[in-house]
Amino acid sequence: MASPLLSIRDLRTYFYTESGVAKAVDGVSFDIGAGETVGIVGESGCGKSVTALSILRLIQPPGRIETGSRIEFEGKDLVTLADDEMRNIRGNRISMIFQEPMSALNPVFTVGDQVAEVARIHAGIGRKKSWERAVETLALTGIPAPEERAKQYPHQLSGGMRQRVLIAMALIMKPALIIADEPTTALDVTIQAQILDLLVHLQKEFGTSILMITHDLGVIAETTSRVIVMYAGEIVEEASVTELFARPHHPYTEGLMHSMPHIGHDQERLNVIPGTVPAPTNWPHGCRFRERCPYSWELPEREHPPLYDVGAGHISRCHLAREPERRNHPHQPLVVQEGVGAA
Amino acid sequence: MPGPIPDSAVIKPAQPRESPLGLTLRALLRKRSSRIAMVVLGVIMLVGLLAPFIAPYDPAAQPDIVALKDLPPSLAHPFGTDPYSRDVLSRVIYGARLSLTIGILATIVSLTLGVAYGAVSGYIGGTLDAIMMRVLDAFLSIPRLLLMLGVLVAWPHLSIGALVLFLGLTGWFGLSRIVRGQVLALKHAEFVTAAQALGASRRRILARHLLPNLVSPIAVAATLGVAHVIVLEAGLSYLGIGVPQPLASWGNIIQDGADQVARLWWMSLFPGMFMVLTVMMLNILGEAMRDVYERRS
Repeated sequence: MASPLLSIRDLRTYFYTESGVAKAVDGVSFDIGAGETVGIVGESGCGKSVTALSILRLIQPPGRIETGSRIEFEGKDLVTLADDEMRNIRGNRISMIFQEPMSALNPVFTVGDQVAEVARIHAGIGRKKSWERAVETLALTGIPAPEERAKQYPHQLSGGMRQRVLIAMALIMKPALIIADEPTTALDVTIQAQILDLLVHLQKEFGTSILMITHDLGVIAETTSRVIVMYAGEIVEEASVTELFARPHHPYTEGLMHSMPHIGHDQERLNVIPGTVPAPTNWPHGCRFRERCPYSWELPEREHPPLYDVGAGHISRCHLAREPERRNHPHQPLVVQEGVGAA
Repeated sequence: MPGPIPDSAVIKPAQPRESPLGLTLRALLRKRSSRIAMVVLGVIMLVGLLAPFIAPYDPAAQPDIVALKDLPPSLAHPFGTDPYSRDVLSRVIYGARLSLTIGILATIVSLTLGVAYGAVSGYIGGTLDAIMMRVLDAFLSIPRLLLMLGVLVAWPHLSIGALVLFLGLTGWFGLSRIVRGQVLALKHAEFVTAAQALGASRRRILARHLLPNLVSPIAVAATLGVAHVIVLEAGLSYLGIGVPQPLASWGNIIQDGADQVARLWWMSLFPGMFMVLTVMMLNILGEAMRDVYERRS
């Protein structure tokens, strides 16, 4: 196998806050191949966005990528790269699509100008040339009348249009990797589908790799080929999409899937995973999911589970890999027993 | 069969192109008070600009220091004459020129300093920010007028250029605080992170993404700043340490008649009126601008 486009090894991003060291990302390793679409899924606070920002080295103090972490991209280690070289990668080789199309655009410039700016920074071309390219790229993202739209300000566009503008900004330099951080969360369902289709289409057309970050398993199912499930700063499960949906192994993944509402099922209440992600300054000993887990026993309490190989390129950070029969005897999770309450 | 529909007929953008600046201007024009303020200020500036053509006399000429001194308003001298027989109307017109020029230039100086200082302090943050803000606190603890009196008494014959510089150098503290606060609030905005993620350098982010978003508060501060400098200059000139004779500024015209205010009432009334009018209009305009931009954000 050729070496992957992006290879992350033991990424640890810690935040040194007054209430302690928040280990937001705590030893994450994964690869993204050229042209591959990989999803990272998890609840808020599980470390998925911090992982994304770490790749682009956009972590602000008091946050820091710990030494020993490695992010290899096109033969360079992004963790130790000089600042100006890193700037040259951002927006050029790796770009990012942000969550809030409302706030990710500068309100005082036209959208065309903002798309063109990326080309001016990286391609060293002038105003006229970059403007032409911006209009071309806006057209690629399916914006009607791109020439006219380019001259408008963000507040004059709808949410879906703005998201297309952000995609155009990410796309204009034809990067090798696009990181999409919840690209559809802020949009209407119908627009969501359009934007996802657009991303899939562009990915096929340009062979760009995409790292899709989301809390929505539906988005994962629709767009990605491989999924990484994150919980409490760690990868807890990784598999191909079909494998993961067919045979979720980690109880957290199972919980995520159960908590998706299903059309046609008569259901009075949504299933939820009881409790919330613990504080990153104080991850629990042993298995970090243990208190919310319906199968937990004394082994997860004693021992932090490694990533077990559970077959078919599927890995899971759960001791159930060792004692699978326990899956037949679920019980009330600790958080419910203690009356901490189901969130 | 109808012919093909031209592209331009099919594709119409939903709204016309509207820059934030254009929007602000239109919002200001919609309001009557700010409309009046802009017109009045426009007229006063025009008067200042065209002073050599409008003023009936040379503002420094003393045609007859015995016969033509201390004349009350008449057709020949609508604002009367001063104790040196100079025409007060001409002096008020030239005063508009000088007072506004000083106000605007000094404000440009303090704007430049205040924006640069505040932006750097807010954007870089950390220890540098802390140090810069303590230095600012130290500056702010010195009353501006006292500082000026001290300096102007020590160097009584400051040229106009030096006076402008001095008024500017002592007027940027408040503005730099405002700018710093805004930069602090904006530097974690998502569009800043987005610009960073797309490879913009720190300098570029500051110049292209942060400062243009501060135009509104800076414009408000500038407008109010000009008003403030005009009053200060008048105050200093009144005290005899501002604009040197025989140049005319609103402040030193009033000063010329100060020892006989009751008798030479026209010498304080007319320049005073112009000054109050200018300052009032600037303040109305500044407040209106503030309203517009606060409503938007």
